[in-house]
Parts: sequence; C-alpha cells; structure tokens
Amino acid sequence: MTARSGRALRRKIFSHSMTVLSGAAVVVVMIPLFWIIYECVLLGGSHLTLNYFTQGTPTACSTISCNAGGGLGLIQGSAVVVGLATLYAVPVGIAAAVFAVEYGGERGLARALSMSADVLSGVPSIVVGVFVYVLVLYFDRSLVFSVFSGSLALGAIMLPIVMRTTEEALRTVPHSVREAALALGMARWKISLRIVFISALPGVLTGVLLSIARAVGEAAPLLILDNTNLHFISLNYPSESMSLSIYLWALTPYKNWTNLAWETALVLLIFVLVLSLASRLVLSRLSRKWKA
Amino acid sequence: MSSTSGSATTPPASSDTIVRSKGKSRTGLYAVIAVVVVIVIVLAAGYAAGWFKSSGSTKSSTGTCTGPTPAVLSGAGSTLVAPLMDQWSASYTASTVGYSAVGSGSGINDITSKTVDFGASDAPLNPAQRAAIPSPGVVTIPESIGAAVPIYNLPGISGHLKFTGQILAEIYLGDMTNWNNSALQAINPGVSLPVASIVVVHRSDGSGTTFAWSSFLSASNSTWKTTLGHSTTINWPVGVGAKGNSGVTETVQSTVDAIGYVDINYALTNGVAFGAVQNPAGNYIVANLTNIASAVKDSNVVFPSPTGDWYNVTVENAPGAEDYPISTLTYLFVYKDLGAAYGSSFSLGTAENLVNFLLWIVGPTGQSYSAPLYYVPLASAAVTYDTNTINSITYNGAAIPTCVPS
Amino acid sequence: MTRGNPFPPRSLRPIHRAPKWGDRIFFGLTLLGALGLASVIIAMVVSLVHGALPAFYQINFDSFLFGHIWNPDGCLPPPIGFGPCSYGALPFIVGTLVTSAIALLIAIPLALGAAIFLTQHAPLWMREPVAQIIQLLAAVPSVVYGFWALIVLVPIMATDVNPVLAQNLGWTGLFGGPHNTGLDVLTASLVLSIMTIPTITAISRDAMEAVPRSQKEAAISLGATPWEVTRRAVVPYSRSGIIAGIVLGLGRALGETMAVTMTIGNRDAIPTSLFSQGQTIASLFANEFTEAISPLEIPALIEMALLLLGICLAINIGARLVLARLQLGGRTTTE
Repeated sequence: MTARSGRALRRKIFSHSMTVLSGAAVVVVMIPLFWIIYECVLLGGSHLTLNYFTQGTPTACSTISCNAGGGLGLIQGSAVVVGLATLYAVPVGIAAAVFAVEYGGERGLARALSMSADVLSGVPSIVVGVFVYVLVLYFDRSLVFSVFSGSLALGAIMLPIVMRTTEEALRTVPHSVREAALALGMARWKISLRIVFISALPGVLTGVLLSIARAVGEAAPLLILDNTNLHFISLNYPSESMSLSIYLWALTPYKNWTNLAWETALVLLIFVLVLSLASRLVLSRLSRKWKA
Repeated sequence: MSSTSGSATTPPASSDTIVRSKGKSRTGLYAVIAVVVVIVIVLAAGYAAGWFKSSGSTKSSTGTCTGPTPAVLSGAGSTLVAPLMDQWSASYTASTVGYSAVGSGSGINDITSKTVDFGASDAPLNPAQRAAIPSPGVVTIPESIGAAVPIYNLPGISGHLKFTGQILAEIYLGDMTNWNNSALQAINPGVSLPVASIVVVHRSDGSGTTFAWSSFLSASNSTWKTTLGHSTTINWPVGVGAKGNSGVTETVQSTVDAIGYVDINYALTNGVAFGAVQNPAGNYIVANLTNIASAVKDSNVVFPSPTGDWYNVTVENAPGAEDYPISTLTYLFVYKDLGAAYGSSFSLGTAENLVNFLLWIVGPTGQSYSAPLYYVPLASAAVTYDTNTINSITYNGAAIPTCVPS
Repeated sequence: MTRGNPFPPRSLRPIHRAPKWGDRIFFGLTLLGALGLASVIIAMVVSLVHGALPAFYQINFDSFLFGHIWNPDGCLPPPIGFGPCSYGALPFIVGTLVTSAIALLIAIPLALGAAIFLTQHAPLWMREPVAQIIQLLAAVPSVVYGFWALIVLVPIMATDVNPVLAQNLGWTGLFGGPHNTGLDVLTASLVLSIMTIPTITAISRDAMEAVPRSQKEAAISLGATPWEVTRRAVVPYSRSGIIAGIVLGLGRALGETMAVTMTIGNRDAIPTSLFSQGQTIASLFANEFTEAISPLEIPALIEMALLLLGICLAINIGARLVLARLQLGGRTTTE
C-alpha cells in the first residue's frame, strides 16, 4: 500500500465518520421534540379525561377542598383572545399582501411592505406586549389589563405571518393567468379577487392557520396585558388563557393546578403541532405544484 | 377564445393549468376549509351554550335586605393571602370576584393605576407609594394575618430546625454558605446537619412576604439593615429567584439543601419542613395560629387612620414569651370614594357589590375560612375597626347602602 | 369566428370600458390594509420611544449601558430606598448575549450537521418528512418548552449533568460555583439552543439545496470524498445563506422570553460562571415590568426594550436582505 492510497483510505474513513456524525446530529436534533411530546403525554395524559373540556378552573388545593377541575375556562379565554386577534390580523394582512402584489410592483413599494412585515415579525413578543401596554395606557387606562389589549398584541404578532404567507401564495400564481384574464377585458379587481386570490386560497388559509397556531401559544404579551386567573367575563376584563396558565402554574406546589398545567400543555401541543403539520403539508404540496 | 390573441400556445396552456390544478388542489383546500369550519362551529356552539356570557343576573336576597345586581369585582396582589382570597372568591356568590395573585408589588401598582377594584399587599404603602396614589386616595384595610416561616429541604432531618434572625440574615447575605456551620450546629445540638452548601431561594417578584422577611432580618442584623434594608424587592446578594409564595415553595421542595421563606399556609398545606425562629424573648417558636395571634395581641399595634401612614405598623418581634416573631398583617387597599376614583364606568351597583364583599370577608363568615387554611382570624377590635373603615367608603360623596350576605 | 364584425361582443371590448368604481374600491381597501401594517410599526416605534423618553433625558446613557447594578428602588427616598440609585442594564445585556451565544455554540454544529445530512446523504424518501419533523420544533410554544425544561430538564442538570461538567471542565474557569439547582445560564442556553436549531436547519437546508449540481459533480470528478464535496463545494457556495440562517436564529434567541424566565434563575447580576443564575432583558420584563414602582423604572425598562428591539431588527433585516438576494427564505415567514 503506497502512501497515497493510505491517505486515500484515511480520507474515506474520515468522510464516512462525518456522514455518521451528521446523521447523529439529525437524531440528536429530533430527540427534544419526541422527549417533550413523551413527557406531556406521560404527565398530562395520565389525568386527562373529558372533564378537561367541560369543567372550569378549580381553586388551588387547600385543606378545605381539592377539585381536579378542568380547562374549559382556559380554552374559552384563549379562544376569545386569539379569535379577536384573528379578526384584526387576517383582513389587514390579506389586504396588505394583495396591495403589495397588485400595486407594489416587483420592487420598491412591494419590497418595502414585505420588509415591514419582516420587521414586525422580528420583534420579540414581549416587546410587542410592552408596546401595546404603552399605547393603550395613553388612550384608556381601564383597558390596559384586558382581553382587548391582549388581542391587540396577538394581532400584531399574527399580522406579518398572514401578510407574508398570503403574499408568497399570491406570487406563485403565474403571470400568464393574469395576462390571459386581462386580455379578455376582465376588471382588475375581479382578476385579483376571483382568479388570483382564489387560486392562492390554500396558501392563504394555511398562513391563517399557522398564525393561529403561533398566537395560541404566546404567553409573553399576555403576561403583561392579560395576567390573571379570572375566567372570561367580557372584553374589558382580563381573562385566563391556556398559554399563560401553564406559566403561572408551572411552579406551584398545588397538585391540581400542576396536573391541569400538564394537561393544558398536552392539549396545546397537540393543537399546535396538528395545525402546523397540516398547514405545512398543504403548503408544500401547493408550492411544489406551482413550481412545476 | 384562443384565436383572438396572437400566440396560440400560452393562453390554452394556462387555462388548462387553471382547470387541472384547480381540480388537484381542491383536496388540500377542502381539508383546510373543513378545519376552519369546525373551529367556527365549536365557537358558535359554545356561544350558544353561554360560554361567552357573564354569570347570571339575579339579585340576591338575604331576608331583610335586597342586595344589588351581582357585578364583577377584580383584585390583584399578594400571593401570601392568595389561598384565602381564592377560597373567599369561590364561597362568595353574591358577586363574581376575580383575584390575580401577581405579588404585592404588582398589586400596589395595579390599584395605583386604577386597573383593579382592590389591591392586596402584605406590605403597607410606603410614603412614596402613598404619594403616588391619585386622588381621592385609598383606605388601608387589614383583612388577615399571616406569618413568614423559613422552609428547607433537608431530607435527613426531622422536626423543626432552629434558626435565629442573625443566622438567617447571614445565610441570605451569603456569609453563611454551608449547612454544617458552627453557629447553626450550636443551636441545634444532636442534629446532624449535612455537609452541603446552602441553596438560597428568594422571591424574584415584588413581595409583601419579602417585606416581612427583610424587616425581620433588618432588625436582627446591622449589616442587612444598612446595606439591604426592608422593602418588597431586595438586591439579593445570593440565591435563586422564584415567583410568588408558590414558586418559592415548589423550588425548595424540588431542590435538596435549599432554604426559602413563605407564608405558613404554604408550608403546612404542602407538607414542607419549616423551622423554628428565635423571638426577642429568646425562645425558639414553631409558628402556629395561636402564637401568631398572640404576637399580634402582644405587639399592641395601634392602627392609624384608614387614610393615614401605615408604614410603621408592624407586629414583628412581639415581646411575649411565646410570640412568633415574623408575623405579618396583610392589607387591602380600596379607594376612599369609588365614584370619584373610577368615574362613570364604576356604577353605584358595583360599589355596593364591593362594599358588601369587603364587609363579608372581615365579618364572621369570611373570617371563619381563615383558620382551616392556616390564617389567623382578625381579633374583634380589628373587625370593628375594619367595619368602620369600610362603611366610610363613599360613592361620589354619599354613603353606600350595604346588604351583606350571610 | 367573427371576422370583420365592427361591433365585437362586450367581453372583447378594450379594458378601459370596464367599470372603474370596482377598481377604486379595491384599491382603497387594499391600501387600507397596507397602511394598517405600516401604522402598526410606526405606532410601535412611536410608543416605545415616547415611553422611554423620561429615561433618555434623566438617566446617563453610559451608566445605563455599562452600569452593572440594577437598583431602581435605590432611587426612592429612604427609608424605602436602599443601596445606590442605579439603572445599570449591563447584567441583562450580558445575560442576553451570553445565553444567546452559548445557544448558538450548541445549535450551530447540530443544525449544520442535520442540514448536511438531509441535503447530501439522506435517501430521498427521508428528506421531506424528517425536515418537517425538525420544523415542528419551531412550532412548539415557548411556555411548553419552559415548562418541560423546568420540570424535566432542570432536575437532570442539577443531579446528573452539572456535577460531571464541574468535575471535568472545572479547570476552564467557566464551571465554577454551586450548581445544585439546575436553574442557571447553562440550562437556559440549552433550551434556547433547542429552539434555534429549526431556524438554522431550515435556512441552511435551503442554501445547500440551491448549490448547483455542477459544483458537486466537479468536486466528485476530482476524486473528493463525500465529506470533501460538502466541505469544499457545498458549504463555501452556500456560506452566505448559512450565515444568514444563523443570524436569524440569533435574532430569535435574543428575544425569547418564557422558556428563559423559567430556567435562568432570575438574578439581576452579571453571571460569573455557566452555573450562575442570571437574567436576560426579556426575562427581566417578565419578572419586573408589572410591578415597577420607582418612577423612572418603567421608562428605563422601555429603554432596554428599545435596545433589544434595535438589535433584533438590525439582525433580522440584515439576514433577510442577504436571503432575499440569494432568493431563499420561503420557509422563514412563519417563524
């Protein structure tokens, strides 16, 4: 064996070991996901019954009473605050994206709008909470700690996601479609709405679903704006929510609250993962189709 | 259609593409729409089932008087009194009371910014906080009595470890770092202290319990008094921060060799080992309802006027032989004139709800929940004082009609 | 075919005959949306600057940026105020930077390794599913990470991992001090690294997949082993994309709140070892924003928020500009 082939052998072995290492990296990277799912199922699933969806938040275990309770109040609170945020974020995000694609041109205005959305999505969620705090404090003190201001913050977090996904979905519609419709004398707005937007609808809807998945898991802005264990009363009062309650109950010695926190973590995790997975699968199938 | 345009290739291809891909993408589209529709249906069903409506609107009647329409009351603050407050909220059905245990510091902030109806704190308002409260100012209502106890996680040790204020101050200053030090051993003869470093746990949020604890340490150790003082937040030199009484309890419970300070309720309800503390008379007292109550009695505390300066009111280090030295009153802050404070958004009915609730919790029914939850009930003199204070709360200058449920 | 017909059917008439009101309303509505997006950003900047103004005027910026004592209570008159009146933000800036840096140190090799495997070595049927699974890591809410870390990871660190690290790596000087709580900078950094891996993996994957076949084939034809192809052909070509991905991951790590608050130990001091408790800007907010009592405390906190915001924005915009130029970045919009 010459020196050269010895070196060649070493290079080969090294290459093989790097391949193995990179494969190991993939395994290591996936471990936390499965570990978290496992722990949530173990610690949350063991007590999870249908009561979770029918009973409200219990008082903490005391020498007087120790009810298991359920997560209904949490689900209601999260549903209202995220639902309200969706009501703001989706129309504004879709409109902004349509504007960017229709009237923004290939550069300039469209790029500016995309960049604005990216800017907004890069803001840490706690800073969004602080911003809404300062804003609402200026206008109406009594609304600072309320579902309403919580929904404003979540809406600001959802807006760039909806806008960018819609924009990209709209841009994957080939120009030829638009040109053909124009050549037939169709009104511009009709083309945008009826042809381009409808074609891009799956992408838009997955963007909406992804933004909902993101918003329902956010706790940081709610920590500042909607921090309570009060059940939902009305929009101008704070209300409990799933994401924040996990944080509030994570470090309590009360067994019923800790169990409820794990169950909520499990339900939240399943909800978010299913939404994300389904959205991404539809989106990737769609983008692959349009790329062809 | 295709023959009107010049190029015959692109339009048919794209129209074919539209038709073809519309057919293919429908599955994904339908799936996504289905999910959205399900969510909307569930929410709509929930709305119909009354999920989003507030609780019922029947007036309560207590026989001799008719109460106001039930309203929603919101309060925030102390975690020390949170278990008792939660029990009160659950048991008081004439109003919906929501209490957020966010810590005394936040409670004071919240009542100052008028975002809650009542604030709860174990620390009285300091002069700066009192000055910061907008007109018409608040009244201070002591509604319960608790005690801060040192809790620890030392598996091999049973019973109650003895501590002095000096030792506790040194531990929290970081001067005493090991469990098996001579000072601690000297007052605990026969106990085999582990050879391990002390994991110090303190509060990370603004806390009335910290106020009580640091007041006691200030009185026991001059270094503490001059460098760290007593307040709801301290510049802790060492240790891990946890949020709320419950956070400290949980952190100590799950960390071997840890020490922390919590209200006695948390220690007893959760079965955490807590220590005996030396009082000015020299005895090592294990906190219980009796010796906390006697501490309050023996300290002969004179309550200032409800709107006055309560900063120097303390029931710590009472002189009696069996008094527990780290006892603490816990306070509610309510605006003196509810109409003037909150404006038109705060109705007379809500004011009645609030006043009835306050009278209920200082009255016999409310106070009867204290002892089972390891809080000391108010003495009758304090109850009388509080009742007068609550009755002095006005609505736009006029007295508020009361009708307290039993 | 209608040839020579002087009156073509309505559908074939020139566009300018189409009704204008529909277009105008459409333009107006979409313009409102675009303005809405812009106004959110403007409102945010204006509110935060307005909120921080008292701090800008009254706190010396040098002592703010480099002061290592955070004691706003000291600015209250005695007997309440104790200690020096100091609004030093350095402990939190250091905490933020240190946790993010260590998170990246752990995340980069793992994420790059995964990206390399997925683009160069994995069989085709494996690539998309595994990539999707890794992306699911990005979808897990931060509170769930924090909760899991607090209950599951922290005890393991305290009893199993930390003693081993202290014993074997104590000589580096980074692993000193008591380590039996598991609530420290190291654990927080570990959780952060798990949260940044999906971002780096996704963008690196895109960048590596964009490498033209010709580059790889040229390397192979010169006799390179698969690793050498990766190292000498793929990675240099996709370097900008990889760096942009790392920078984007950094941006995410800097602003992470919930998972960090639950694992870092919450101590307002500059960490002296990996086992120290610490505090980041974001976790400081979670702990102290709602109960700031001294008058300049909230403006000072907002000033810190602006600092954090500025860094995150600069990082984000820079990385996205690079990605846009490389025409990558389709996967990043939803994170």
